[in-house]
Amino acid sequence: MKRFIEPNELARDSRFIRQDNAMATVLASMPDDVDAIVAAFEQFSPMIEESVRGTAAQELFEAYGPAFTLVVLNEPLDPDSAAATMRLILRMHGIFVGELQALEGAARSLWDFPDAPWEFKMNMARQCWDEGRHVQIFEKLLEHLGGHVGMFPESTFLFEAACSDDPAMRVAGVNRGLEGLACDVFRDMIRYAEKTGDEVMQQAVDYVLADEITHVRFGSEWVKEFTKGDPEHLQKTQDFRREVDKQFSFGGSRSDREDAAIPIAWEDRKEAGFSEEELQDLASVSAEGPSKETLTQAAQILRERFHAKRNGEGARS
Amino acid sequence: MSERMYPGMSPDERTTFSPYSAFDIPADLRQLHGRYDVASVARRVRNFRYAEEWMMMIMGGWVATIPEVPVKTGLGKVIWEGAQAADEFGKRLPELRCGRKAVEASEASNEGFAGFVQAVAGPETPDLTIEKLVGVFDVLKPHLVEIYETTMRETDQISDAPTIEILETAVRKTRRHIAWGQEVLDRLCDTEALRERRRARADELSEQLSASGGVTGTLASDRGQLN
Repeated sequence: MKRFIEPNELARDSRFIRQDNAMATVLASMPDDVDAIVAAFEQFSPMIEESVRGTAAQELFEAYGPAFTLVVLNEPLDPDSAAATMRLILRMHGIFVGELQALEGAARSLWDFPDAPWEFKMNMARQCWDEGRHVQIFEKLLEHLGGHVGMFPESTFLFEAACSDDPAMRVAGVNRGLEGLACDVFRDMIRYAEKTGDEVMQQAVDYVLADEITHVRFGSEWVKEFTKGDPEHLQKTQDFRREVDKQFSFGGSRSDREDAAIPIAWEDRKEAGFSEEELQDLASVSAEGPSKETLTQAAQILRERFHAKRNGEGARS
Repeated sequence: MSERMYPGMSPDERTTFSPYSAFDIPADLRQLHGRYDVASVARRVRNFRYAEEWMMMIMGGWVATIPEVPVKTGLGKVIWEGAQAADEFGKRLPELRCGRKAVEASEASNEGFAGFVQAVAGPETPDLTIEKLVGVFDVLKPHLVEIYETTMRETDQISDAPTIEILETAVRKTRRHIAWGQEVLDRLCDTEALRERRRARADELSEQLSASGGVTGTLASDRGQLN
């Protein structure tokens, strides 16, 4: 069995389809410019349409056009907002595949780094069990909300962004970047569940959040250990984590800004071993994206153009 | 009360508590002298640790390349329990005069067994879930249960009780892993052709395992002892 695999080698059953990761890269690098965002989404529109065809996301595409991801990512989850349940299920599905990739990332760390210290292997093995349970939990929660596995395309963006072939970078990407994002998302999900009185979701996600804090802590400790006495390596690792954090901020949707859809879970992250300085850095990196106003305007233009085009095609036929 | 609570210096200053041997309450039929001395048990424990460590690393490699979601999630727990077993074996080694640094010592019994482990790790692509699982759940884990139980029976029951404790836990969990893995395989092998694939893979690996002498390299004598 070879060491290191490509994201497209992640094995899936027939329920899954893939989404092109290029879209995630676009989201991560959007400027604060309405015209540039509109142009990028129009360029990717055929690809986005193709990737959602036959999935539950087709409904969102038909409603919002190619910028439906902007709406989904940029607007905070609110039980009273339009299509709230579908958006919640979309997020839940994203978490489910994220957990799947986190399981695969932790498990591959056991095989990819055979000479790593034993305690590292123990931590990764424990994480395999935890992530396996998380996959089970989120499959149950998907069903609890009326969704099912495979109803949306899967992006392997998380695995691709986080799975470096350097163990220090791998734990920085998976355990601090990806799992750190999970802390932010899960804290937001718990708030949502409390608002809707969904005790099943609230309790399950709270347990998962506790596990994630442990996993981030593994990352915090192993980055230190793997880079001990090598400041250059430590710097590279920090740069890599910043890059992953920027990509995982989806143009400011996850950030410390007041208008963020997913706020940074400051307290949870501190408990997990992030320093105040690192959190300030994360807040700064994640806030670099376009403003909410820019995204809202771009989404509105894209939606109008999409419907105008659809209506024109309808009239011609 | 004139009864003595503690013995004095002269023969008539004994306590009045009734005498029992170390084995009387409850009755203990264990006897001293097992088949393995300290060095042999240490070697076996290093061999067991090698098998458990490699098995969990191999399964870790497979999680991403197995398409069946319940197999991915189920392996997560098996990996963790395998790591715990390897960890317990490692912690036993310094107690067997292997030095404090021995907690991470794994050792294949011979090149044949190391080659067998690499053969178990061989299947890679997503269409080979059956071949992957057969190596671990039809061949290697049942073999480990057999050898762990042999060791538990044959080692000194009193002097080497700490090893027995570790093996008891490992056997209990490994039996559960085998039951899970074989149920998955039964489900996956739902045609005669697939069942044949399972048998062929198991036969091929079992032959290689036997030729290597198994996890301790002493399979023939272990079995001979039992017979």
